[in-house]
Amino acid sequence: MHRLWPGLVLLLCLCSSLNVAGQTGSEGIAVPNPGSELWREVRQRSQPLPPGGQSEAPGLALLQEIRQRRLSEMPVGRSQLAGSGAGAVFINSLGDTWRRLRMERLVPIGGYLLGGALLLVLLFYLIRGRVPIRAGRSQHKLYRYSPYERLIHWFIAFNFILLALSGLILLFGRSLLLPWMGPQLFSAVASASKEGHNLFGPLFLLALALIFLQFVRRNIYQKGDLTWLLRGGGVIGKKHVPSNFFNMGEKTMFWMLILVGGVTALSGLVLLFPLFGQGRELMALSHLAHAVTAIVMITVIIGHIYIGTIGMEGALEGMRTGYCDLNWAREHHDWWAQKCEERGETVSAEDVARARGEVSPAHIAEERGR
Amino acid sequence: MARMKFYCDAERCIECNGCVTACKNENEVPWGVNRRRVVTIKDGEPGERSLSVACMHCSDAPCAAVCPVDCFYTTDDGVVLHDKDICIGCGYCFYACPFGAPQFPDNGAFATRGKMDKCTFCAGGPVEDHSADEQRKYGANRLAEGKLPLCAEMCSTKALLAGDADVVSEIYRKRVVYRGASVLSRGVSYQNATLRAPSGLKGKASSRE
Repeated sequence: MHRLWPGLVLLLCLCSSLNVAGQTGSEGIAVPNPGSELWREVRQRSQPLPPGGQSEAPGLALLQEIRQRRLSEMPVGRSQLAGSGAGAVFINSLGDTWRRLRMERLVPIGGYLLGGALLLVLLFYLIRGRVPIRAGRSQHKLYRYSPYERLIHWFIAFNFILLALSGLILLFGRSLLLPWMGPQLFSAVASASKEGHNLFGPLFLLALALIFLQFVRRNIYQKGDLTWLLRGGGVIGKKHVPSNFFNMGEKTMFWMLILVGGVTALSGLVLLFPLFGQGRELMALSHLAHAVTAIVMITVIIGHIYIGTIGMEGALEGMRTGYCDLNWAREHHDWWAQKCEERGETVSAEDVARARGEVSPAHIAEERGR
Repeated sequence: MARMKFYCDAERCIECNGCVTACKNENEVPWGVNRRRVVTIKDGEPGERSLSVACMHCSDAPCAAVCPVDCFYTTDDGVVLHDKDICIGCGYCFYACPFGAPQFPDNGAFATRGKMDKCTFCAGGPVEDHSADEQRKYGANRLAEGKLPLCAEMCSTKALLAGDADVVSEIYRKRVVYRGASVLSRGVSYQNATLRAPSGLKGKASSRE
């Protein structure tokens, strides 16, 4: 009889373990067995989640709840350190979204876009070369921009270049400048960029407002603009397309600058003054809006600077001296040139040179003596 | 090498803010900066839980990924630290961090951000250990003395655990096993603990029902 006991115990153990494993054992015997029930529980919980994503594990459900919270529902909790910026938010999923958008979209795509724009401009210059004044320079000029208009243009221009460069250093500097500058020097450069960006940023909004008020009337789209667009602004073919004071391309750039630049400036203000209780989410969104609009703007301005400087003969003069060549105006802003000529507003190139002090006093004395 | 981790046990945290105070005192952080904070969810409702949150010293830290000057580094102990001499105070790490760990002293004009400050796991910074420079910029360096962060060391309920991930997870695993066993054998439910009417009480609390 004694020899049978171990075998009986073994048999019982086997039966009970089979019951637990199959979970189909008879419910007849109600013997509490916390250990095996715990394991059964564990096994049940380690099964894959149902399609709804809800598990029975309270911790997981809570985590999912926290992560699924949207902007309007935050903060999810309460903290005695409400002023710490992070407040009572446990996990901010948007932070990771922002990180991925910045590192995997913004930096590479923005880089390709800006590099592509520069390359395109270079290619265009190599293929088309400088657009000349086909009729040659005339002896007459037209008054195009008043000193105030030139002032606000160069104000926004230098402001923009400063902001663009400092912004690009913050966006691309880590991958482009840091490797050869070293951490110490690059930190100084980046710090200066940040401070400069913060200092001159608000001035851009002011400049934008001044530009808008001064030029909005001449930038309203009118009848001939569609023709200009359909004929590609004269890029295709040899014939020039007539236009008014500003052509369709310039008008589009103006409105783009006002609207896109407005978003850039306003989102910049959200980022600049973190003292009105704006949360991380709003600032991360503002940063994305700021960067995307700024890159779009820089891309367009690259084209603007190209056409205004090396891309076209006689284009810079209007903004530099205030006067443009009559033949240039006839070729690029025909309707405006006609209107000016009808009103007899042409001035001789020599008068302009004299008024600007470009003719030497000796030359004038010689003329008088003759 | 060890892989340092924090773990906060929501079943134990009683929102005493002792960790916050310990951290602030040990590291002497400036006004407006709190490297650690306690967040309570469902405050005053059934199922209320508190957690102490600071830098989690991520393996793939988002702050380090987005930093425009690349001032973050991970020590051999798995602690994420940053160099305040390189930091420019742009705030990008603050946008990226899921836990809201990076803090900024806002004593500049118009609350502009100064250099970022965050939990160092009481491991100082990239300057000489226990130097005055380190104390001023980064606070305490308890790890170099063979001690763990003061927040966890001073936690009254041992809710906040800090140390080698293997040890921390082993402690927490044991707690979970004990809790699971007690739920199943004695009917103690942590999830519904606050919902149960106190059985021994016959006064005002139970007469409301």
